[in-house]
Amino acid sequence: MCSRARGHAWKLDGEALMSVMLKGSVRQGRLILDIDVAVGDEIVAISGVNGIGKTTFLRVLAGLLPLDTGTLQVNGNVLDDVNNQIFVPAHLRNVGMVFQDNVLLPFLSALDNVAYPLMASGIGRQEAQQLAIDAMGQHGIGHLAQMKPTQLSGGQQQRVALVRALINKPQLVLLDEPLSALDVDARREVRSWLRDQLKSLPGTKFVVTHDLVDIAELCDREIAFMQPQLQLLGNETQTTIVR
Amino acid sequence: MSTGKRRVGAETPLFVWVGASCALLFLLLPLVGLLKRVAWSGIFGAVASGPASEALRLSLITSVFATMIALVLGLPLAWVLARIEFRGRSMVRALVMLPMVLPPVVGGVALLGAYGKSNGLIGGWLFDVFGLQLTFSPLGVVVAEAFVALPFLVMAVESGLRSIDPRFEESAATMGLGPSERFWKVTLRLLAPSLIAGVAVAWARALGEFGATITFAGNIEGRTQTTPLAVYLLLESDPEAAYALSFVLLAICVAVLVAMRGSWMGRRS
Amino acid sequence: MTVALASLLPTAVRASPIVEVSKLQGDLTISAATSLTDAFTELAKQFRKVNKGVKVRLNFGSSSTLVAQIESGAPSDIMASADLTNLEKLVASGNVVVTPKVFARNTMAIAVKPGNPKSVRSIADLVSLSYIALCGKTVPCGVYASSVLTRAGVVIAESKVTRGIDVKATLSAVANGDADAAIVYKTDVLAAKKSVVGIDIPSAQNVKAMYGIAPIRGSKNSANAKAFIDFVLSEQGWQVLKSIGFERP
Repeated sequence: MCSRARGHAWKLDGEALMSVMLKGSVRQGRLILDIDVAVGDEIVAISGVNGIGKTTFLRVLAGLLPLDTGTLQVNGNVLDDVNNQIFVPAHLRNVGMVFQDNVLLPFLSALDNVAYPLMASGIGRQEAQQLAIDAMGQHGIGHLAQMKPTQLSGGQQQRVALVRALINKPQLVLLDEPLSALDVDARREVRSWLRDQLKSLPGTKFVVTHDLVDIAELCDREIAFMQPQLQLLGNETQTTIVR
Repeated sequence: MSTGKRRVGAETPLFVWVGASCALLFLLLPLVGLLKRVAWSGIFGAVASGPASEALRLSLITSVFATMIALVLGLPLAWVLARIEFRGRSMVRALVMLPMVLPPVVGGVALLGAYGKSNGLIGGWLFDVFGLQLTFSPLGVVVAEAFVALPFLVMAVESGLRSIDPRFEESAATMGLGPSERFWKVTLRLLAPSLIAGVAVAWARALGEFGATITFAGNIEGRTQTTPLAVYLLLESDPEAAYALSFVLLAICVAVLVAMRGSWMGRRS
Repeated sequence: MTVALASLLPTAVRASPIVEVSKLQGDLTISAATSLTDAFTELAKQFRKVNKGVKVRLNFGSSSTLVAQIESGAPSDIMASADLTNLEKLVASGNVVVTPKVFARNTMAIAVKPGNPKSVRSIADLVSLSYIALCGKTVPCGVYASSVLTRAGVVIAESKVTRGIDVKATLSAVANGDADAAIVYKTDVLAAKKSVVGIDIPSAQNVKAMYGIAPIRGSKNSANAKAFIDFVLSEQGWQVLKSIGFERP
């Protein structure tokens, strides 16, 4: 269950202790996003209507989109600072990301997809594959190892993508609607697995989701994207969850 | 998915079947006509020795080199055209298509204008400084073939690059791969089908090139007389050899293209 | 009778047309050797003036290619060849059933780039050049060139010879390309004017190219064909050929 946070917690704790501090703006086509956010080692839900900029926000955190103004700090490291012309590109940030539609590499098997981040960080192929198969097995998708993404269902792809995103113990986790392709039962199962995984990771975890149950079950805090600005909501969970 | 052949057939309009059959017939009838003329018993003899075999060997070697040049030059060009926005981009793209629409002989004249030893823009300089004469040389054949084949490769690769979802590369970036790694390990592999198709088309075009070759590189037996040139001349003096040679070239081309398709077009359900 | 009258008139005056000729109608397709391009274009023009009802189509190419076309069934009414060998092929295959008539003679010449940069003076000098252009081995002008080389006792390695598909392409290799010299018909050298320089070949080494003309059997326009052939063989026709540089048969 989510703990309840009230008010603007970040002010209470003081800047230096925040894992993620982002204050700036970015423009993507006709969308202008003005952000002022600081969160700690929490699981943060990101909600809002379609097209409002939730994915853009994740892309800025990931290093796929530079800020136009402002700064971004993660765990004390400056990843983006427009005034001082500092920008750390995505491949140098220790990020675990699940995109909408998963985006598994189609020419690799599920196993190789999961092992990829490990190999990219220097672990040998054999060892990486062993770690990958272990992780997949733990999550109950070991049997999918040799299959190609095109042979998997949407839900299976999503699970593989999740395992891949978390396998390298990233310092920043960005999940863009990670449970959307799963049916209700699978969703429940994966959600509880995900909660355990995320809780065991240090660092901040951002989850974009429309599902109220996800918000309630998974997260410590919710950030609601609204026009024209971003607002920080306390998580007073009044919704009723139907099991 | 589909439950059987009958269902798929019923969904295709009749005019599509008719059009496709006509197209196939249009292409196959001349092929059958050619096959009918080949004297099968003497085919090996006709091709195994003399000018015919030299022409075949020259064609195969030059077309492969020409395709390699088209690849090395065409891939970066396609990248720029597909990924980088700049003023005049559509103009550049139209220029790249130029060798495709130029009559090949005119292409040869253009090549002479650039690389001809006597009157070319840089041809004289190439000869004086490097002792390099492209005209009447196998290298000139490669240049002529690469010139006509390049646009085909650029077109196929540019189209392929545009159709790649950029999120694959982004996903790879979040997994820790730098730009260079992403290019070799992700982009190229996603591009593979288009790349293979582009290489195949470029190679076939290089192999069949006649007008630019004969105008620029000349027609010297053993040096620049490629198979199409040899076939043209043989048609008057020894038609049997001409048909045989044509068939052998065709067979090699078909064999390679079929082999390429098999390994890269994947097995989709 | 009319012919005798015509021969009394000064040659500057055009012979008046015979009344029956100008009533000719229909098409006329002439396959002629590339070296006859300028000559036959002019001859066709003059023929048309007198025979306004005849539509003349000229098809130029190397004589050997044209013969191959006719033997494959190309609808041609007349063949004008740069040698008699090709006409004999047509006779042998039954496409020509009358005796071909020789209507002109030609000789060979060496063509080099303007200014003769390699100082070519004779056939023997060709050996020292990097590349020369000759017509294809089975094309008449290529056969004649071989004869010239043999008579001059000169052998040139095939690896230095670029073979043109007809005489114009061969000449173009010198005029526009990198070939240092070509052996082509004298008439082609004359026609090329400033783009090449001609070097004469002494008659001891030179050959006489015999140009023949014949109607094709079974053509639908045999009356037109006969009229044109008569015209080529006439004094007026000869004047045209002479002005191009051909010699009397």
